[in-house]
Parts: sequence; C-alpha cells; structure tokens
Amino acid sequence: MKEFKPLPAQPAPNDTIGPIHWMKENLFSSPVNTIVTLAIIAFFATVIPPLVDWLFISANWVGNTQSACTNENGACWVFVIAWSKQFFYGSYPVEEIWRVNLCLIGLVAIIIASFKLNKDLRNKIAIPLFLLLPFISILFLDGSWIGLEYVSTDYWGGFTLNVLLAAASIIVAFPLSFLWALGRRSDMPFIRSVSIVLIEFFRGVPVLALFFMGSVMLPLFFPEGTNVDKLVRVWIVLTLFMSGYMAEVFRGGFQAVPKGQYEAADSLGLNFWQKTLLIILPQVIKISMPNILATFVMLFKNTTFLLIIGIFEMLSTTQTALTNSNWLGGHSTEGYLFVAVVFWICCFSMSMISNSIERKLDTSHKN
Amino acid sequence: MSIEHEQSIESNDDIIVIKDLNKWYGDFHVLKDINLRVKKGERIVICGPSGSGKSTMIRCINRLEEFQRGSLIVNGVEMIEDVKNIEAIRREVGMVFQHFNLFPHLTILENLTLGPIWVQKKPKKEAEATAMKYLERVKIPDQALKFPGQLSGGQQQRVAIARSLCMNPEIMLFDEPTSALDPEMIKEVLDVMVELAEEGMTMLCVTHEMGFAKKVADRVIFMDAGEIVEQNTPEEIFQNPQTDRLQLFLSQILDH
Repeated sequence: MKEFKPLPAQPAPNDTIGPIHWMKENLFSSPVNTIVTLAIIAFFATVIPPLVDWLFISANWVGNTQSACTNENGACWVFVIAWSKQFFYGSYPVEEIWRVNLCLIGLVAIIIASFKLNKDLRNKIAIPLFLLLPFISILFLDGSWIGLEYVSTDYWGGFTLNVLLAAASIIVAFPLSFLWALGRRSDMPFIRSVSIVLIEFFRGVPVLALFFMGSVMLPLFFPEGTNVDKLVRVWIVLTLFMSGYMAEVFRGGFQAVPKGQYEAADSLGLNFWQKTLLIILPQVIKISMPNILATFVMLFKNTTFLLIIGIFEMLSTTQTALTNSNWLGGHSTEGYLFVAVVFWICCFSMSMISNSIERKLDTSHKN
Repeated sequence: MSIEHEQSIESNDDIIVIKDLNKWYGDFHVLKDINLRVKKGERIVICGPSGSGKSTMIRCINRLEEFQRGSLIVNGVEMIEDVKNIEAIRREVGMVFQHFNLFPHLTILENLTLGPIWVQKKPKKEAEATAMKYLERVKIPDQALKFPGQLSGGQQQRVAIARSLCMNPEIMLFDEPTSALDPEMIKEVLDVMVELAEEGMTMLCVTHEMGFAKKVADRVIFMDAGEIVEQNTPEEIFQNPQTDRLQLFLSQILDH
C-alpha cells in the first residue's frame, strides 16, 4: 500500500508581510484612502503641538498661589497641585488621611489577591473579605467605634470618596442583583413579580431623581427618631440603582447558558443552590463580564452626580476650588481636565482588569 | 414512605416500572400509554424516527421531563412531585447527553468529582481517586487537568460517561450519545459503552447505531408517534419485524 505523506508547510510569500506592505494595504490602498490618511495626519500636526505646549512646555508647575502662574500661554497646574489634597481627600483631617489610604490599599490588595490566589483560597478568603470591605472601611473612616478619632461623614470627600462609594455599592449590588435576576426567572409568581417591580423601578428612574429621593424621601421610611447618615442613604440608593442594571445583565447571562448545562447539573442530583452557584453562576459571570464592567464604569462615573445633593466628591470639590476667592479667574479648564484624566485613568484600568478576567475565565481554548 | 417499604411492593427484580405513562406538550400528546418494565442488568436500545418520543421517554426516567399521567418507579422509588424524591432518583440514574454537556469552566477532573463531592459528600481525595479510576477506564487519564474545550468530541463524550459512572449509578441512560460525533470518533465512544454493557450495567440507550444494538442489546424497542410499536430481541426486530412501520424504518436506515 502507498504511504500518505502530507506536504511540508511553506513560508508566506514575502510581498504580503512587513510594515511597508501593511501601509500600502491599509493607509494608501486607494486615492480616497490616501486623501483621508493625509488629512488626518495634517489635522494632528496642527492640533498636537500647541496642545503639548499648553499642557506641558509653557505650563506653570511651581508655586503655591495663583500669582505663581506667570505664563499666560500655559496651563496653571499650580492650581491643581495646591488643591490636590482636597481633590483626593475632601476635608478629611490631614493627620487621619492614612485611614483613607489604608481602605484604598485594602481594596487594591483584595483585587490583586483574587487574581493571584488559587481557586480554593479565592473562594474562602478573598470573596468574604470583599463582601466585608465596605463595612470595615466605614468602621475605619468613621473611627468612633474602634477607638480612633471620630471623623463625621461631613468631612469625607474627594476622589477617594468616589472610589470607595462606587466600590461599596458594586460589592453589595453584586449578590443582590444576582438574587433579583434569579427571582425574575423564578417559577414562584410572588417572587417573580417583586423582582420585576424592583428591577424595573430602579432601572427606569433617572439616577438623579433617585438621589433626591434618597436624600428627601428615604428618611420618611425610617422609623421615627432614627437619623440615617446622608452618605449611607446615598450608598443604599447607588446600590439599588446598580442592582437594577446588573440584574438585567445577569438575566442576559442566564439566558445564554445552554439548557444542557442545567440538565447535566440536574441529572447529577445537584440541588437548586448547588446547581446555581457551582454550575450556572461561573458561566453567567464569564458571559456577562463585558457588560458587568460597563455597568461598573457607569456607576463609578455616576458618583459625580452626587455634587447635586451636596456631597463633596471630586467634581463638587473642584467646583468649590474654582469659586475660591484666592483662585478666581479661569482655572476651570485645568480643573475639569484633571478630573477627566483621573476618572479616565481609573475607568481604563477597570477595562484592563476586565479584559484580563475575561482571559482568565476563558476555558474554551478556541481561536 | 420509605424506600425499603416500596421495594417490598415491587417484589420482582424490575428496576424500572413504567405504567400508562402519558405526556403532553401543551395540546400535543408526545407519549401515549407507555408501559415498560426493565430488569436489573438489562440492556435496552430504543430506536425510532425523530419526533417519536424516544428521548422524551428516557428523560422522564430521571425527571428532566415531567409527565401528566401514569406512574414511574425507579429502583423502588416512585416518582412524585417532591424535590427530595426527584433528587433521590437522580442519584441512582446516570445520564449521557447528545451534546456531552460537560461543565466548560471546570477541568475534566473537577467535572468528575463535582457530583461525588457535593451530592454524595465524599472527601475530595476519595472522589479524585474514583475519578481517575474511571478516566482510566475510558482511556483518557492524561487529560484530567485539561478543560472540556481542549478535548475532541469523542473524548468529551467519554468524559461525560465517566462523570456519570463516578456517581455509581444503578441505571445509565444514553440520549443519542454518538449523534453529534464525527464518524472517526463514534467507535471510541461505542467501545466504552459495549464494555459497560458487558459488565452488567442496566442501560437504556436511544441510538441509531444498529450495530451496537445487535451486539449488546437484550431488547430493542421501536417507537413511533409517542407509542412503543414493537419490542423484541435484536434478532427478531431486525430479521422478523412484525409491523409495516418498523419494516419501513429499517429499510430506510439500513439501506443507505
């Protein structure tokens, strides 16, 4: 019998690889493409140099007061530097700022740990710590319960407040929204209707309206005499708002898990919660990861709306700084640009984290 | 009612007793008066055209499908509307699906140990040892730490069989186990099933593999339009069909 020998693989032809070929193919393939390419290059060439000049070369970096900004043609970063403590920490007492930093470090440490630890330790240590983090942070920041100096929530503020508030809402909203999504799929009519009403209410009402309700209406529901802190009310509102959105994200994920997965889990004799938590939830999270992250980013950015109800998060601190009598006279470009850049860096890092989670969760090994 | 008590009612050695089983999807009558008794250790192959209710019938046995009328007793436990009861029956019945349905987020080993650890509450070490034993039986112990997505269809189906066996079931149900496989991989799965049959496992197998039926089946059941049309030994079914419906079916599947 004749033996079958596969042909050896050949290298790709030389004129289809390399940077010059790539440019020919992608940038100058047709007259229209060439014109567009050149126009875009011309646009960047006129815009970027003055921008770089204003941002960096002519910018004023050194000093403590407005008078240090001598070069009119450059940005006044002195403003941002002088107010940076307020931008990041609000009016939190300077000597107690380590507490805020500790909470942030805790948050970052748990995120890193959940990447580095193996599955067992992650489920047993990192996830419970994650769920406790908002409450531990409140203990630390407030201080009065654990023997530190009491810092009223009136003094909490700045960008760290945006971060911690968003993180605390996300952490609580995650399990809550999963339960709502489960409830919406439930066979039990009562649970299903309650879930639908909750989800649709918190998704359908604008977040600003929810904030006002939280600061004005919510106290009416608390028993008389109790005074729930404004920040706690905001936390509740953000959490519920986030849960409404996330529940729908999870519902999409539930629908994308093939029916065979439920049947296989059933046929092994797993009970409802084992099936849901061991088989379905991990797959739902994997499928929904891009949308979960989009919701996180949305919520994080929405924390700037809190300036409307007088909470000193980063944006309202910036506005306060801009109207300070020592700094009057148009630093708003620098101020808002700084806020934008800080938020962008955070949101972009969240995208990066989400991408790497997606890669980590991807066990399909398909190309 | 205790399991022991019910077993005393079923004094014979029938492991599955189906009486007058009827099922509707809405108005559509999918299973009509199904009566079937399966002895312990019996190997049954169920065939029939698509839509004849053969998959639905075996899916009723571990209650992946509900039925509206009739009774079903599996290993002495009567199937009633009760979560504990259903879970008890599912622990006795292993099932292999057409599309394998392995859990894609777990490794092969984790797929195999999940049931023993969470349902049978076995220690992890013991569950893993059992799992490796069954992986060797289906001849892929070297794939234990891979994910299902990295395996070929035939390998995945063998893992699915091993996953069911890890639960130490009394009965194995196969729902078209080779229908989603490339021709080259069908044999490796059938070999495992033949081996299992030779060891005396009670098997109900929906399949179009007539060679497999001839080789191992004690009884072949032919279904059409939600009814059991004919049941007999493979020789009788293939050599001597009693109804024109079976004759037509056989001529269509054997002549191509």
